[in-house]
Amino acid sequence: MRKRVVITGMGWVTPLGHDVETVWRRMLAGDSGIESTTLFDARTFPTTFSAEVKNFDASKILGPTYSQHQKAGRATLFAVAAAQQAWASSGMAAAKTDPYSVGIYMGAGESGLDFKNFTDVTLASWKDAEKTLDLKKWGDLSMQTMDTLVEIEQEPSMAITHIAMEFNARGPALNCLTACAASTQAIGEAAEIIRHGDADVMITGGAHSMIHPFGVTGFNRLTALSTFNDNPRKACRPFDAERGGFVLGEGAGVVILESLEHAQARGATILAEIAGYGSSADAYAVTDQHPEGRGAIVAMNECLRDAGMSVDQIDYINAHGTGTKVNDSTESWAIKEVFAKRQGGPITIPISSIKSMMGHLIAAAGAVELITCILAMRDGILPPTANYSMPDPECDLDYVPNTARRATVNAAMSNSFGFGGQNDTIVVKKFAI
Amino acid sequence: MRRVVISGLGTLSPHGLGTAAFWEALLAGKSSITALTSFDASAFSSRVAGTIPPFKTNDYVPKSYRKATRIMARDIVLAVVAAEMSVRDAHLATKSVLETGPAETVGGWFKPSGPRVGCNIGAGLICADLEEIGGAMVTARNEDNTLNLGKWGRSEDVTLTSGMENLTPLWLLKYLPNMLACHVSILHDTQGPSNTITCGQASAGLALGEAMRTIQRDGADLALVGGCESKVNPMALMRWSLLGRLSEKNNETPGAACRPYTTDATGAVLAEGGAVLTIEELEHARKRGATIYAEVIGLGSSSSASHSVVEPDASGEAPGMAIRKALKDAQISPEQIGLIIAPGHAIPEWDAADVKALVFAFGPALGKIPVLAARAGIGDCGAGSQALDMVAAAMSLHTGKIPPSIHGEKPLAGIQLSRGDNAAAEYVLVLATALGGQNSAVVLQRYA
Repeated sequence: MRKRVVITGMGWVTPLGHDVETVWRRMLAGDSGIESTTLFDARTFPTTFSAEVKNFDASKILGPTYSQHQKAGRATLFAVAAAQQAWASSGMAAAKTDPYSVGIYMGAGESGLDFKNFTDVTLASWKDAEKTLDLKKWGDLSMQTMDTLVEIEQEPSMAITHIAMEFNARGPALNCLTACAASTQAIGEAAEIIRHGDADVMITGGAHSMIHPFGVTGFNRLTALSTFNDNPRKACRPFDAERGGFVLGEGAGVVILESLEHAQARGATILAEIAGYGSSADAYAVTDQHPEGRGAIVAMNECLRDAGMSVDQIDYINAHGTGTKVNDSTESWAIKEVFAKRQGGPITIPISSIKSMMGHLIAAAGAVELITCILAMRDGILPPTANYSMPDPECDLDYVPNTARRATVNAAMSNSFGFGGQNDTIVVKKFAI
Repeated sequence: MRRVVISGLGTLSPHGLGTAAFWEALLAGKSSITALTSFDASAFSSRVAGTIPPFKTNDYVPKSYRKATRIMARDIVLAVVAAEMSVRDAHLATKSVLETGPAETVGGWFKPSGPRVGCNIGAGLICADLEEIGGAMVTARNEDNTLNLGKWGRSEDVTLTSGMENLTPLWLLKYLPNMLACHVSILHDTQGPSNTITCGQASAGLALGEAMRTIQRDGADLALVGGCESKVNPMALMRWSLLGRLSEKNNETPGAACRPYTTDATGAVLAEGGAVLTIEELEHARKRGATIYAEVIGLGSSSSASHSVVEPDASGEAPGMAIRKALKDAQISPEQIGLIIAPGHAIPEWDAADVKALVFAFGPALGKIPVLAARAGIGDCGAGSQALDMVAAAMSLHTGKIPPSIHGEKPLAGIQLSRGDNAAAEYVLVLATALGGQNSAVVLQRYA
């Protein structure tokens, strides 16, 4: 029989705060972390706001070990800070686990370019007459200007490199970057690594920040972002008829996974159990989701099959719910397909999108949403979908509009669908022997 | 437990297009590293590279999908081409193959079931196209020639385009690392688990290993796996030059520039390339009469947890442990390995750490096992490197031949570099040590 995998620690850094309880409290209050962008001057951009992590002083949060992470990118620092919380809450620091049995699997994004230096050097090397770059000059200037570590820290493997350093974790170390599905996939695959016996403990989750000029440029050019510049707090409207795009957020979420036997042997507090994981590809188009949610349906069905659970046993879905026209109607359609045979129908499952309050954390979104599912189970309360006012006939399910709701949650599903068509779903359940 | 075999190879390297060109060059002990001429590299001290010979992308992409090649960065193109070669080699009549022919699943061609096919292709940090971004930025300049973010976001004269509007609307999609797997999954209708592992030079082994586990637990019957990357661009050259990792002493003799595991190693050489391997559940492959190159029997991985993000753990313990785990997973002893394909960065401190790792894992047995650094004639293709090494391993087991490790006249103490005259291997170990500290080890077995 395969090993059971449990969650024994969690931590996050999000636009709503830097610790588990503060963020949870604000989420339940329907608070918003979305404001005008301050990380760069975005006043003339099509979208002038975002969900930034505020007041993040890495040196204070990371404490004495900050020195070894100084030149790390913003998201990498979020990752280490979230991992520190998760590690501390799991009590793993006191465990005598072989470092080679402690692995890492993150869905962490690349760090942004060294913007000022990169743009200065590139513009200074541009030859107007030929409309081309003088690469000799670009090379000379960049070799004088660029910082070696800042450049290398842009690699998407750096979050796991820093986490390994911080906790002396020497087991399997992987990073995946499947866009918005990345951290759900990371946690799902981390669970598989434990189930197979390749590690006893995994530090897993995601981290990302694309709130930089080229990141916002990329999403604005795709017209994927909300442009409700007059009222940022109301800009992200998942499942609402007037939704107009997603809001870019940033942050990190990390959980500690363990085999049940390892957690029990060291007397750990068990927060939840990973019940199932499903993964699929739309194989449809890099620009659009499959119109009938083909891949989303497969991911949810595979996850339920893997969990050995029926559609009646899911008490809550934390939706991908980006607030774009297509995602929310496709996801609603897919949920209706998967839960068609549920007693009372799909309308009886409460679904919410916390992106309405903290924006879309891209690669980090899934990890933060899975932690939200664990908290909903723990406290018996569902976070709301904020900014919901006008029903959309294509989104005709129960989205827990605007106000948190008491509910008994024994099992919760978290969906993540990546740009490009990679889909992942995880079900967590309350732990019982 | 379900067994996993390699049933298709798609290879793209400085040695040429296709697995045959790659393998023949390896056997011949050839170096395909040449002077870097694809862009003006005169500002840099290292001006050699492993560049893939010219090819036409459209030759590997069906007509209905050719428009999409405009939003593919070089790394993505490499994966798309390697995947097309791989499914054809595996005789899989995927969606793309059916469009370009053969149109019917006859003559040994097999049409796989989409949801039972996974895709797991490692990728690197895709570098910005400087001409493209520079060309857009000049439309939003200040007088002092710095970028004016205001004009970048919105033109002062609203009838004119803003800086960012000079970028194609789908600009971002060229640079997302998951686009290697996404385009491949669309072209070949692979609807099973799809992942993009970004662990530098260890990516491809980790990707293959993860897909192997998926097949073992019956989550798929087939998977397209591997990795591709191009480091032959100004951004990568700048980064590795800053790090002082590159060979700077052989600009006049490019073919001799990359000298892994020797006392005269002078640094790495940047390259482009990679491979997509088709892996398959054994009975599935047998039933359809597939050519089986080798069986995948072991996976081990680890993290060096080094004190620095740019230096190796000099003890080599972590990669050594990855090898031990892979051997344990394969249920074989170190002496049974007949060939080690090792990373061969040709950066002295990394090479020394690799040798420590091999000594740690193999002990005295190491003296009898030839070590091949396939990278010596290619250079470093980042996420593509271990994919090429796995192709070399599969071909060695399939043909019973062991290529020589070139430039190996002065090997580091403790290892025997392959001279090309060793007896055929029954088991091959492929080790990768990523420069960010991730290690992956894969064991392949001859299939008979």
